[in-house]
Amino acid sequence: MADTTEDLAKKKKAFLTVGVLLFIFTFIALALGKWSVLDFGPPGATGEDILTALIAAAVKASLVGLVFMHLSHEKGVIYKILLFSFFFFMGLMILTIFTQKDPILEQFDTLKTTSGALLQKPE
Amino acid sequence: MEIPYEVTPRRDTGLFNAKLGIWLFLASEVMLFGGLFSSYVYLRVGVHTGVDNPWPWGLNVHENFVYLGFLNTLVLILSSVLVVFAWVSLKERSWRKFQIYMYGVVACAVIFMGVKSVEYYSKLKLHHGIKLVDDSVLEGRIVDNSDRIEFEGKKVSLNLSGGLPAFLSDIRAEKYPVFTVEGTEQKLKSVGQVKAWFLNAVRVARSEIAEERIRYRSEKVAFDKAEAFKQGSGKTPETVAQGLEKRHFKSAAVLVAESPFKMAANPRKLVMHNAKSLSYKDAVSVEGKLINDAVKFIVHKVDLQLVLPVNQRNSLAWKIVGEDGKKQFFDEQKVQYQHLLQYYKGKPIPERMMRGYILNLQKVHVGGHSEKGSVAAEHQAATAGEAEHGEAHHAGGKTHEETVVTVPRDQIKFMSAHSPRYGTYYAIYFTMTALHGLHVVGGALVLLFFVVFGKKLYLKDPEHLANRVEVGGLFWHFVDLIWIFLFPAMYLL
Repeated sequence: MADTTEDLAKKKKAFLTVGVLLFIFTFIALALGKWSVLDFGPPGATGEDILTALIAAAVKASLVGLVFMHLSHEKGVIYKILLFSFFFFMGLMILTIFTQKDPILEQFDTLKTTSGALLQKPE
Repeated sequence: MEIPYEVTPRRDTGLFNAKLGIWLFLASEVMLFGGLFSSYVYLRVGVHTGVDNPWPWGLNVHENFVYLGFLNTLVLILSSVLVVFAWVSLKERSWRKFQIYMYGVVACAVIFMGVKSVEYYSKLKLHHGIKLVDDSVLEGRIVDNSDRIEFEGKKVSLNLSGGLPAFLSDIRAEKYPVFTVEGTEQKLKSVGQVKAWFLNAVRVARSEIAEERIRYRSEKVAFDKAEAFKQGSGKTPETVAQGLEKRHFKSAAVLVAESPFKMAANPRKLVMHNAKSLSYKDAVSVEGKLINDAVKFIVHKVDLQLVLPVNQRNSLAWKIVGEDGKKQFFDEQKVQYQHLLQYYKGKPIPERMMRGYILNLQKVHVGGHSEKGSVAAEHQAATAGEAEHGEAHHAGGKTHEETVVTVPRDQIKFMSAHSPRYGTYYAIYFTMTALHGLHVVGGALVLLFFVVFGKKLYLKDPEHLANRVEVGGLFWHFVDLIWIFLFPAMYLL
């Protein structure tokens, strides 16, 4: 199952291209983070800035995962393993979001039931 | 016997063993770092409640940290490229190229850890924060060792247990004081003699107590068996207890100095101090006279995020920093407020923005303004030859004369370097970057092993070595992936 010379040359070219792209995206992330001319909204980390930074990081991570870690052409069992990881990780993040937004206790703030019906406020 | 599927993939999964293994491991690592990232999110989102020390938004603490983090990102990306090239070299059956690329990866790891060490050193040794009693925070740097308490000691009361007393390392006398052990004629003329005496006294105290425990136990056993009554010794429970009480165990000692000696006490080792005594955590107390316990501090920034807006103009920080700094702060606050008004365009500005760093965290160049009756900023003369001035790095890379302010100890609520105890940001920062750093070290060691000891396997079965390097490379890419998320989270946002 040895790769041919052409295959290896293509791989090297792909790795080099991705490496350069990663450098460029890192510069972009730094520019977005540090230079106020590219700052969305008031100075510092607002929602738009966080979203932009996360998108930039996700793009870089995708490049590393798909090309460097060969996930673009990996076997099915690997994807199944990573799917498990994905669900557990998302569960973890959702639990973290619940620390700020509590759908159970919120109804006591607004006197709404979980199905949305308004309750009579006690006198 | 050859282990099957080390090179040839299994028919059911299509993978060789190590690849399945490493992906399972990486899946668990996702949860490890995922847990820490979720902690980061939780702490970050909750910080605006203002209970904890303020978050150094966007690492305004020192812009140079961002560039160090950026450099580390580039180094790790380069190392990722080199590791895949190393793998391709093995596929091409070129040992020499493999060595070059792999040594390059290890060199990148060394550079990464070197840059990280510089960062850590700077945070732990060169940057400090002082929170005053009204919750205003001064950020900057403590002038060398001025956080120590200058004291003139005369008499030391020691507890004869535990390890060597902490006060010994705080003595700063030019000529080591001569101590006399109270109640004896013994004189101790050097730190070595004090240590030797202490250790011996502790040993004696422990052995006397141990002997007495044995004696007491045997007496108690005899008594419980009513032997004492049977033998008519006349002993009763009360007489046995009284007998024990009369024995004196030497568990404390006092050293008296022939003349007062200077000390620079580390406040972290103290329980309390006042004008006449220091009390250490190891139950040693030194009596004498307090010389100075104020802290000399170079102020780079004043942070009023935790102070209510109505109290900001009268904050304790201005008594220390001076009116120039106060004017600068509020001028800058007005400018930032205009930015906020412009951005929110008539809509109400969220409360977190009003309490947040945009308005209440400013760099100040501290000017001099003496005030009577309270500690004030001392503006050091710009001319050479005056004491205590240094250079500070400004945001634009220019330097200017630093001004030293004196902060009275009783106005300090909390003081620390930018270490994990300073606040949740630094706690999560050090946890995550240190754990990531350990992963870098571990990964680099594995890759170094391949290049140093892999020649034999390469000559026997090069595809096997290529598979191992691929698997090691997968771990390395994962480490790079973590840093790709860590860099913006810790340094940019």
